[in-house]
Amino acid sequence: MPTIEVDYVEFEQMLGKKLNKDPDRIDEVLALAKAEMKVFDRKTGLMSVEIKDTNRCDLWNVEGLVRCLRGFLGFESGPKRYVAGKPVCEVHVDSRLKYIRPYIACSVVKDVDLNDRIIRGLMQLQDKLDHTYGRNRRRTSIGLYDFDQIVSPLSYSVAKPDEVSFIPLGFGERMSLREILRKHPKGLEYGKIVSGHPVYPILLDAEGKTLSFPPIINSNDLGRVTETTRNVLVEVTGTVDETVLNTLTIVSLSLVDRGGKAYSTVVNYPEGTSTVTPRFSSGSMNLSIDYVNKVLGLNLSVQQVSRLLMRAGYGVEKTGRSSVRVEIPCYRIDVMHQVDLVEDVAIAYGFNNIEPLWRKFPTVGGVRPEQGLLNVARELMIGLGFQEILTYTMANPEMLFARMNLKSHASATRIGLGPLVEVANPKVQTLTCLRSWLLPCLMDFLGCNLHVEYPQRVFELGKVTIPDAKADTRTRDVEKLAAVSCHAGAGFSEAKSCLDAFFMNLGLKWQIKETEHASFIDGRVGKVVADGCDVGFAGEVHPAVLEAWEVENPATAFELNMDRIVRIISHNH
Amino acid sequence: MFVKGKTLGEVREHEYRTLSVLATSSGKFSIPELAEKSGLSDAAVMRAVMVLQENHLVSVAECRRTTVRLSAEGRTYAEQGLPERRLIVALKELGGSAVLSRVVEKAGLDKQLVPIALGWVRRKKWADYEAQTGRLRLTGRQEEGADEKLIALLKKQADVWLESLSSEMQDAAKLLRGRKLVLVDEKTDRAVELTEAGRAALKKGAGTVSEVTQLSSELIVSGKWRDVILQKYNIEAPVARTWPGKKHPYLKFLDDVKEKLVNLGFKEMTGTAVETSFFNFDALYTPQDHPAREIFDIYLVKSPKYGSIGASDDIVRNVKRTHEDGWRTGSKGWRYKYSTREAKRLLLRGHGTCLSARTLLKGLEVPGRYFSFARCYRPEVLDRTHLTEFNQVEGIVAEENLTLRDLLGILETFAVEIAGAEKVRLKPDYYPFTEPSVELSAYSKEHGWVEFGGSGIFRPEVTMPLGVKVPVIAWGLGVDRLFMMRAGVDDIRSIFSKNLDWLRKQRLI
Repeated sequence: MPTIEVDYVEFEQMLGKKLNKDPDRIDEVLALAKAEMKVFDRKTGLMSVEIKDTNRCDLWNVEGLVRCLRGFLGFESGPKRYVAGKPVCEVHVDSRLKYIRPYIACSVVKDVDLNDRIIRGLMQLQDKLDHTYGRNRRRTSIGLYDFDQIVSPLSYSVAKPDEVSFIPLGFGERMSLREILRKHPKGLEYGKIVSGHPVYPILLDAEGKTLSFPPIINSNDLGRVTETTRNVLVEVTGTVDETVLNTLTIVSLSLVDRGGKAYSTVVNYPEGTSTVTPRFSSGSMNLSIDYVNKVLGLNLSVQQVSRLLMRAGYGVEKTGRSSVRVEIPCYRIDVMHQVDLVEDVAIAYGFNNIEPLWRKFPTVGGVRPEQGLLNVARELMIGLGFQEILTYTMANPEMLFARMNLKSHASATRIGLGPLVEVANPKVQTLTCLRSWLLPCLMDFLGCNLHVEYPQRVFELGKVTIPDAKADTRTRDVEKLAAVSCHAGAGFSEAKSCLDAFFMNLGLKWQIKETEHASFIDGRVGKVVADGCDVGFAGEVHPAVLEAWEVENPATAFELNMDRIVRIISHNH
Repeated sequence: MFVKGKTLGEVREHEYRTLSVLATSSGKFSIPELAEKSGLSDAAVMRAVMVLQENHLVSVAECRRTTVRLSAEGRTYAEQGLPERRLIVALKELGGSAVLSRVVEKAGLDKQLVPIALGWVRRKKWADYEAQTGRLRLTGRQEEGADEKLIALLKKQADVWLESLSSEMQDAAKLLRGRKLVLVDEKTDRAVELTEAGRAALKKGAGTVSEVTQLSSELIVSGKWRDVILQKYNIEAPVARTWPGKKHPYLKFLDDVKEKLVNLGFKEMTGTAVETSFFNFDALYTPQDHPAREIFDIYLVKSPKYGSIGASDDIVRNVKRTHEDGWRTGSKGWRYKYSTREAKRLLLRGHGTCLSARTLLKGLEVPGRYFSFARCYRPEVLDRTHLTEFNQVEGIVAEENLTLRDLLGILETFAVEIAGAEKVRLKPDYYPFTEPSVELSAYSKEHGWVEFGGSGIFRPEVTMPLGVKVPVIAWGLGVDRLFMMRAGVDDIRSIFSKNLDWLRKQRLI
């Protein structure tokens, strides 16, 4: 979610409403734009405002935020309309950009009066747009320049990696495009967008001066906007025509809202077509009042809906007895469907003014079918004196295998505990895969409680994930139950006697059969077989395992496959 | 009970046996020593000692002792030497000045130990490291420090009392504890000694009366219980603690939530931890190039990377068209080239809404109310407010003519039934797959305002491609926050607490 920094005093001034720095009142107002104050630093007077809607680019600066709020607060009505003056600049686009980054749009905003705060807001907006709407600059990227240093017409062209060099923003020396991709932080961050092509995009002016290397970095000379900049060239390049135009609109308007005057640019494409940008023209959508009422459960009239839409910043024209044409201002690039308009009607009406309705309709509640039996199993374990615990399902191979005295993946796979379902992008080295069994999680738990009173008896009923080539997700979750008892006198017979009680109460005949399992002491471990089906294992934990978890008392444990046990029981009944 | 000054004639068997052991020497005895020599259990000796103490026949001194012993890592270093020592030994062998990587190689030091070794070498002023040239140069005298002496001592002696060490060695123990090389345990020992009164009483001498501590089966069956005196206990004496088996407090809380949802007519949905991008994102109208889908926000499965979608070709085509140009939904769509291959990408589900998407596609009953409790995964670093793995409680409601009013009604009912709210407050909210979207805060006297639920009506771009023709309300509940408030914890990691003591002490009511 985009978070922007807003100067409180300026915000209050622009909003035209006193909020007395009261967090509740600030939040109440911000909520109308789906925004929330995260931090209010009273020393600097800066608020961190989080905007939840990742599509409302028009809210990602204080100008846009206030534009939206003033409508909902009733200070303004209808859309804000903007116009761009006649062309003052021209761009020629090279045909070789067709498969690299074909689109460009520019505007020139003149007579701006910039200060540090405005520039910071502009940078913030640019950053959020690049990241979210621009899909990390892959789809669109933005450049701002000092227009007075630039000679029209511009050339949006291509260059070989070593053909052009210039001083990139924030650096002191000339670098070739190749060097920028290798050394400049932005080159390292975004280089992969263009590095697959033999030539890279480049933006030059009529005198051959470099403006920028889109979408990577601007020139340090032309591509820097400061407090003394009067006339700003805004440029957006990208892969989707419409997105490029939308981004240009949002950025240009943030300067226009600060008193600048926008002028157009002519863009000449290689096929011979030319377009004029920016385009501040509104869009429109037909909206039926019945649809509004159907979604909201209200009984609003055409007049009421129209008034609410105006409050939400739309233009409205009545087209029938119960339909309107809605004018969508150029900055509302998020509106995709009538339902987006309906939500704005609801916000303008006020959610708290709508009466909630709980309808009685005949549905029968229920839990998953195996839940009953799982609950019985849980109750039994509690009755046997075990404390229930809850652990993470994410783990690592060392914990699941090596610390359990299973020397290799192969030996773990032989006893059905591998291969593991691993993640490609772990965040920490300790959580790299999903667990294939529960006992390691219980051992980890014991290892964390060395100084807590013994005997320690704990169990977990939880899921493990194993590969399954036949499933859509190539994996399957298995419900398991594992328990461990750890104290000076813990031994095999304790586990066996617990299992006896467990299976007797489930009405199952069971046996324990000799097996080998390196996590347990040889000759003190067995396969648990219920109704002829292998459902788990039980045994005395191997001292090498105890040592690995630094547990200083003997432990006895069992682990059962509850899915199989549930299947056996439902089959028997 | 007998009183001070009375003779041993009234001392019962266990006390007598304990006194007799104490009389064999003028020194102090620990409880295990007394137990061993008297043949009684630890608990019986303890009870006897308490009775004797009350009567001033013995004195009991409690002393806390701190023992120090090597940890597993400490034991390794006891054999091999501390990493910094190994580095210095190698450096000396290389003539006192050499490039770090050579010294490390010579010392045979694990890569991960290098920063530790280097840090300590510098802290102990044994050598200088020039970052520019990467050279390590000996300085000073590299004498054996108290820390190394202590390790050597512990290697021989297994454990020592902290109090018995010189202050220099005590400091070293603290240092090594910080390095996790030694473990420090505190124990309370009781030293029991005969008092003058006890010695005098014993001298006067007496046998024991036939008093019985444990009523036995034999006594009952034979009727002999009539002939013996059943010992009176000090019923106020402390006893060993018992920890009953209990449900995990968080899971118990979720059980209650589940029961309430079932009573409200909701049916449970289940699914697997690994999910396809199609159900986690695409079917919920999140575009494939959306930043939230990048590796920072979702765990991707390493191998195999792709699964199968689990939906018919028609459905996949509908979703693809809706993403690309809105299809028949009346939407403009996201306008990009949708990839069916990307839809098959396997990941760990990032939210429980994928289960709702699966229900929409398969087996949705109208009217229908559904819920799920799903373990979800996001690559976050764990802290007080973030878990990388968490539980989501959410679900859907489907019925002809559902409206925003129904949505508010559902949220309000949850707030009252589950969170015990007295009033509620609603705010606009945002989810990529619902419109309108609403956030609910619940107010209770106990906890004030708490954000409790989020909800919205699925966008037509979600329902129509999956063949659903009625409005569907999706909701989610912030149950973790509610649990934390009720349990009085402010760290979300407590939900997966590894603290057995905490779990044992959680009250059931």
